[in-house]
Amino acid sequence: MNNTVLELENISYKYKNDLILNKINLKINSGEKIALLGKSGSGKTTLISVLNGTIKPTQGEVKLFNESFEELDRKQKSKITTIWQDLRLIEDLSAEQNVNFGLLAENNFYFAFKNLLNISSFKKAHKYMKLCRLHNSIYDKKIRKLSGGQKQRVAIARSLIQESNILLADEPFNNLDPKLITTIKNLLLENVDKNKTKKSPKTALVALHRLDLLNDFDKVIGIRDGKIFFNIKRNNLKKIHLEKIY
Amino acid sequence: MNKLKLNYTSLSFLPILVCIPLGYQLINNIHFGGFKLFQEFLISAFNPKIDNEIIITVIKRLNETILIGFFSWLVSIIFGAIFGIISSNIFYKIFNIPNFFYLTIRFFLTIIRSIHEVVWGIILMQIYGINFSIGIIAICIPYIAVNSKVFAEQLETIDYKSFESINQINAPKFSSLLTLIWNPIINTFKNFGLYRLECSIRSTVILGLFGIGGIGTSIFLSFQTLNFRELWTYLWSLAILIILSGLIFKKIKFNTKNKILSIFFIAVFFITILFSFSYFLYFIFNNNFENFNSVSSLFKSRSDLGLFDFLKLILETIILSLLSTGIAISLPPLVIGIFNNNSSKIFIKIFAFLLRLIPTPVILLTLLTFNNPSLSLAALTLGLHNAGITSKLLFTNLDSQDKRNYMAMKSLGISKKTSWLLGLFSQQAKSYLAYCAYRSDIIIRETAIVGVIGSVGLGWQLQESLSSFAWQEVTIVLIAYSSIAIVGELINGKIKNSLT
Ligand SMILES: Nc1ncnc2c1ncn2[C@@H]1O[C@H](COP(=O)(O)OP(=O)(O)O)[C@@H](O)[C@H]1O
Ligand SMILES: [Mg+2]
Repeated sequence: MNNTVLELENISYKYKNDLILNKINLKINSGEKIALLGKSGSGKTTLISVLNGTIKPTQGEVKLFNESFEELDRKQKSKITTIWQDLRLIEDLSAEQNVNFGLLAENNFYFAFKNLLNISSFKKAHKYMKLCRLHNSIYDKKIRKLSGGQKQRVAIARSLIQESNILLADEPFNNLDPKLITTIKNLLLENVDKNKTKKSPKTALVALHRLDLLNDFDKVIGIRDGKIFFNIKRNNLKKIHLEKIY
Repeated sequence: MNKLKLNYTSLSFLPILVCIPLGYQLINNIHFGGFKLFQEFLISAFNPKIDNEIIITVIKRLNETILIGFFSWLVSIIFGAIFGIISSNIFYKIFNIPNFFYLTIRFFLTIIRSIHEVVWGIILMQIYGINFSIGIIAICIPYIAVNSKVFAEQLETIDYKSFESINQINAPKFSSLLTLIWNPIINTFKNFGLYRLECSIRSTVILGLFGIGGIGTSIFLSFQTLNFRELWTYLWSLAILIILSGLIFKKIKFNTKNKILSIFFIAVFFITILFSFSYFLYFIFNNNFENFNSVSSLFKSRSDLGLFDFLKLILETIILSLLSTGIAISLPPLVIGIFNNNSSKIFIKIFAFLLRLIPTPVILLTLLTFNNPSLSLAALTLGLHNAGITSKLLFTNLDSQDKRNYMAMKSLGISKKTSWLLGLFSQQAKSYLAYCAYRSDIIIRETAIVGVIGSVGLGWQLQESLSSFAWQEVTIVLIAYSSIAIVGELINGKIKNSLT
């Protein structure tokens, strides 16, 4: 089952005069768990934004399920979920409202309206918040009143509730203590609904800095100055690989 | 001698120089015929007429004012929000609408709000005759456009990254829009929308002076019959109304978590929209166009207005705006700085309250008791009224400011006035000037009101043209008016940007 889910063909991204992504070719196969390594400013966040369609590349093509990203409809694009490095929560809304925000794609306008009025069902939201070890006393607190680690987990719960099979996560373990990191890592890499895993396994690309977490990944990609330096099986990762990118 | 340095502080005081030409003209125009009247006017403030009959009238008139004020507020705030949304960037980004529509609707709203509600009122009255709902419509038209600007400005503050993230989730477009704008809209309503009720009550009073009804009409009639004691009964009751409405809204706290309250607000929202639409249609189709017999009269009417007269009127309007703005900027800091002690402060605050309370036409008519009508008199009126408003802001900001610099300077033996200037005011000057730039937009529009009564500028010409049904002239005057207001808004926008 080596079918390609996401594919980048000769992608370059220029911002003003800087070449931030430089001729990137990348195939992500279904079920692969990929770790994205690279120091700050190497282009990890930009790469993830290109993969989820937020940034249009200056050159090259992004393909989802072998079709050009531009030509896909809303339902298909919404199969990707993203955990942003800067979280992108709505500060004035409560934690549970922000988590429900992840359900907007599969629901109609009336749901969005009820969510803002606080009269929608938060059952599913609470389930995922609980999985992320968020205490029920913060469910209805506004985002701006939460701590960094709590915000981080709200953003993760918002992504999980989408129950999507393709996850892009940008440094999702920021602000989390070691015990939580293990919990969250398992949540991110496996489908919460185990039945689903059998049908189509979860595909994940996770940007991170912690080398001790690499054991759970199949592949490691190293990026530096907007260029992919290596794209290898985890077992083949050597010290010299890391020296190249750090 | 030290050179005068141009900084925000000195820029706040320099405009007071307008008082030189202004004072010259005023002194030349003084007459003592009405001095007794003026005296009587002042004394009556402390001796308003109170009996059963007038109390019944006051209640009836206040009811009318509250009704017009409340409904025009409600409709204009709701439609202001809607127009604010469709004239904001975020709307066009979410729906991928060409920028052309964005610019068109913004331009359209700018023109609508460049014309003061009194002007809309006079025009509508001329077409439809005097009518209760004319008051509401006349206030709503420019208010919707003004409110939409404020809502749109707040919507521009939405973080582009939240937009990207909701875009990435690929939610239905209306769900994305609603989720993004929800908080900015509610916060604008809380911080700005409630204050607008006071504004629409004031506008109702002003329109009342022109015959729409409510307490304004009573104020005007009692002034015309020189019934000053009655006049002050009306003015004081208006003061109570304004103070009360301010207090009530300060006390109200909106709990967005209260479900029943939220549903109630949503219901009011939709009912208002439905009702306004159906009423608007009813109004359009059921009114006998009393004076506006046919559109063709617009083209038949001949304009007697020569180009030279016309340019003179435009010039007058611009000078009127500049002089009034000068007073509104510089008078408050000057007076507060010179009379810098606690007892004077209370006196200044009361005086400023009165200047805000008394509608500009009444201030002007009062001043006319000892001065012949002139451009300077109209400018003084408008300037004083607006100084009442700018000084309120200045007082609020000065009171909440950190006073340590001021105390330190005083303890160094620097004189009280200098310490006030350098230790307190200088830190406020920039934001004060930014507010004045915004205020001068409003002053340009308000020149219409004093123009009508003080026989200067385009406002006066508009009244003349309307009463002789010279629609072509009316159109020209309106175009001139909104051009001045739009140019003013552009200049002030630049000034504001450089100050913030
Ligand atoms: N919005 C932006 N404007 C200008 N430069 C940017 C922007 N976003 C990213 N960059 C630049 O692109 C490069 C890659 O950034 P980024 O993708 O955020 O790296 P990483 O996520 O690996 O830290 C950096 O040099 C950064 O300065
Ligand atoms: Mg990054």
